[in-house]
Amino acid sequence: MKAVTVSRRGILQATAGATVALYAPAVLGKAKSKYAGTTIHGGAFSLPFHQYLKNYFPEFEEQTGIKVNFDIQAFPVYNQRMDLELSTGGSSYDVIIVTFIYQNRWIGAGWVSNLDEFTTDPNVTPADWDAGDFVPGVEASMRDAKGHTYAYGVEAGAMILAAGRGDLIEKAGLSLPTTMDDLIKVCEAVNGKDGVAAWTADKLHHWNWPPYLQAMGGHIFKNPPYNLTPTLDTPEAAKSAAWYANLLTKYGPPGVLSFTDDQAMQSQLSGRANMRTNAITWGLPLAKDPNSRVSKTVRYGMVPRGPAGDFPGVACHGFGIPAGSRKKGAAWEFIKWALSKQMLSRLVKEHGYPSVCRRSVIHSEPFKEALTLNGQDVAALYAKVLDQLGDGSYMRYRTVPVFPQVGDKINRAIEAIATKQMSAEAALKQAQAQAIEAIRMGGYKVDL
Amino acid sequence: MSISLGTTGRVTQVRRIGLERQRRWFLVWCLAPALAVLVAVTLAPTIYLVVTSLTPLNLTNPMTAWNFHQPLLNYRLLLSDTRFQNSLWVQAKLSFWTVTLQMLIGIGFALLLNTRSGMMQALRTVFLIPMVLPPIVVAIIWKVLYTPDISPMYWMAKALGWNLPTFITDPQWALPAIIAADTWEWFPLTMLMVLAALQTLPEELLDAASIDGARSWQATLYVILPFIRGTLMVAALFRLIDSIKAFPLIYLLTDGGPGSVTEVTNYYAFEQAFNFSYLGFSSAITVVLVLVALLLSWVVVRMTGWSAEA
Repeated sequence: MKAVTVSRRGILQATAGATVALYAPAVLGKAKSKYAGTTIHGGAFSLPFHQYLKNYFPEFEEQTGIKVNFDIQAFPVYNQRMDLELSTGGSSYDVIIVTFIYQNRWIGAGWVSNLDEFTTDPNVTPADWDAGDFVPGVEASMRDAKGHTYAYGVEAGAMILAAGRGDLIEKAGLSLPTTMDDLIKVCEAVNGKDGVAAWTADKLHHWNWPPYLQAMGGHIFKNPPYNLTPTLDTPEAAKSAAWYANLLTKYGPPGVLSFTDDQAMQSQLSGRANMRTNAITWGLPLAKDPNSRVSKTVRYGMVPRGPAGDFPGVACHGFGIPAGSRKKGAAWEFIKWALSKQMLSRLVKEHGYPSVCRRSVIHSEPFKEALTLNGQDVAALYAKVLDQLGDGSYMRYRTVPVFPQVGDKINRAIEAIATKQMSAEAALKQAQAQAIEAIRMGGYKVDL
Repeated sequence: MSISLGTTGRVTQVRRIGLERQRRWFLVWCLAPALAVLVAVTLAPTIYLVVTSLTPLNLTNPMTAWNFHQPLLNYRLLLSDTRFQNSLWVQAKLSFWTVTLQMLIGIGFALLLNTRSGMMQALRTVFLIPMVLPPIVVAIIWKVLYTPDISPMYWMAKALGWNLPTFITDPQWALPAIIAADTWEWFPLTMLMVLAALQTLPEELLDAASIDGARSWQATLYVILPFIRGTLMVAALFRLIDSIKAFPLIYLLTDGGPGSVTEVTNYYAFEQAFNFSYLGFSSAITVVLVLVALLLSWVVVRMTGWSAEA
């Protein structure tokens, strides 16, 4: 029998070899991205998109080795916190929702990163990711004056009309209203029938009212974003505000002026209120939510138009990367994955996600199938609203840096009118004066 | 002899002065860490607040930081800001009613509960519950109560055939609704303080009053209340200062509305800073609020002669 000589070097070599043999597969298995082992922190307000997407986080983590942590907050809380966080150039977040009404402000202040650096590099983003596939009107507000893109659309909150108790309207011998005059006629005919209020809304009047302001020929600003002189004290604005305040108080359920988004939706889901115009995301649960009492009676239509046309609101929130993030590469990997055609198609097929911003998905058969509700082609309504949006010019009022300030004045003016504290003219005159002061304080000029 | 005595006296005096000085320095050094913490925690932020109020600091525009070109601009704007002036008036109404109601109810309950029976002691604990709840929870409780669709109060009213207004969206009722919720939350504090003071009241005083023929209301008015006057002052001051900081109830129940009916100054400052990023303007509002609070506290203390007594 041959004696085996065991040397010190031999033991060391064997140990090193065994270590490599044991650990290499695991390491190699995880090392699918150069960012493997990184943890990225995301921030967002509560959106159905996140509820659906988070189910797939383990897949992303498995594919790339990047761990994802997301903070989800209520809409106003998120905006306040993120505004403050971004203003400090902080690095707490790597992926954020660039909120529609803050887009110009955050992009203009240089608080979010230019994503063209990633999309134009073929080593980082393959051509089939197809950045040009996003709806142009949706992306318009997420670009700067030079055309650089700072966020990609997560949700196009296209406004439609949802009537939970469409059957009551039909029973009254009417159909879904298509004009503002029709809307009042329908409200008059069905209000209180079966104990159901004809109308409901949340208290974000600066989102709900402008479509009716524009439909009556009014505007918020003279020519946003170039001329931010407010135009709230016009006869069109007063007429439209009085009309809208009347809609809320005469046909809304008790307490409608204090309703949050959830409360307004609940009032429809439970069959206590009938019609509401809001983003499609808030309308679809009426048909799809298992707790909905109106899933068999819900009907969908376009936002009623006025004498000056129809201007359904579209709020486009996108994923972006804060300028202060130290993990931009990994953050882009996440955005690229979350907003890929494949992932969005899965969200549509598996969850019926309605607010997709990619044209190829919107015009796909599965999207149409998912949004065919009670025999109605809601996908076509959605596509029609996005077509209507065009280059997004009529929604520009909403993305100017001073909109949060002016929006606050609108909210208070509508409340004052609805509660009969002031006439529409007086409330809007006051809102105009306060808006001018706020715009000037922000360092912008007005024509006065 | 007399010369040497005089010298000894002077030496003793010099030594005493030296000791006194050492003692003073010793005290200063003992207090120094606490004073340093006080300066860092309280004084420095206050100075920063005042300095910021002299700039147009806007978070979206970094150039506005440390810009002292028009140091009094924010204060000039405040003079013509009708919403700010309205917020001061709303604040005054809120403070007056909440402090008054909390004092009256707190005193009333303290007098009722000032017995040694086991049941009353258990009741005291129950009455403390609103005060120990987190303010957000209190706000949610009242939000439920004030929301017609889900409120037991509205259900009961409906069953009785009463038609209640929606308190938080009715301009006549929104502020009283906040006052009611705030009073419910904080009257236990005044009750607790008054109760503690009542427990120290010597029985002899009441016995003497009784022997002199005083009735119970006279004993309360002329013996008990004067005895606990200092405590009442402290409680009123605490509540006054706290009422100026009212926030969660307004934030969750009314958002300052409808219109600006419940928008207090504190809430207005919050909106300017956190919704609009106008930190300079918001600081100016806060400085005014601090001055008003200090002035009110001083007036209350002077009017009641509490400081002299102390």
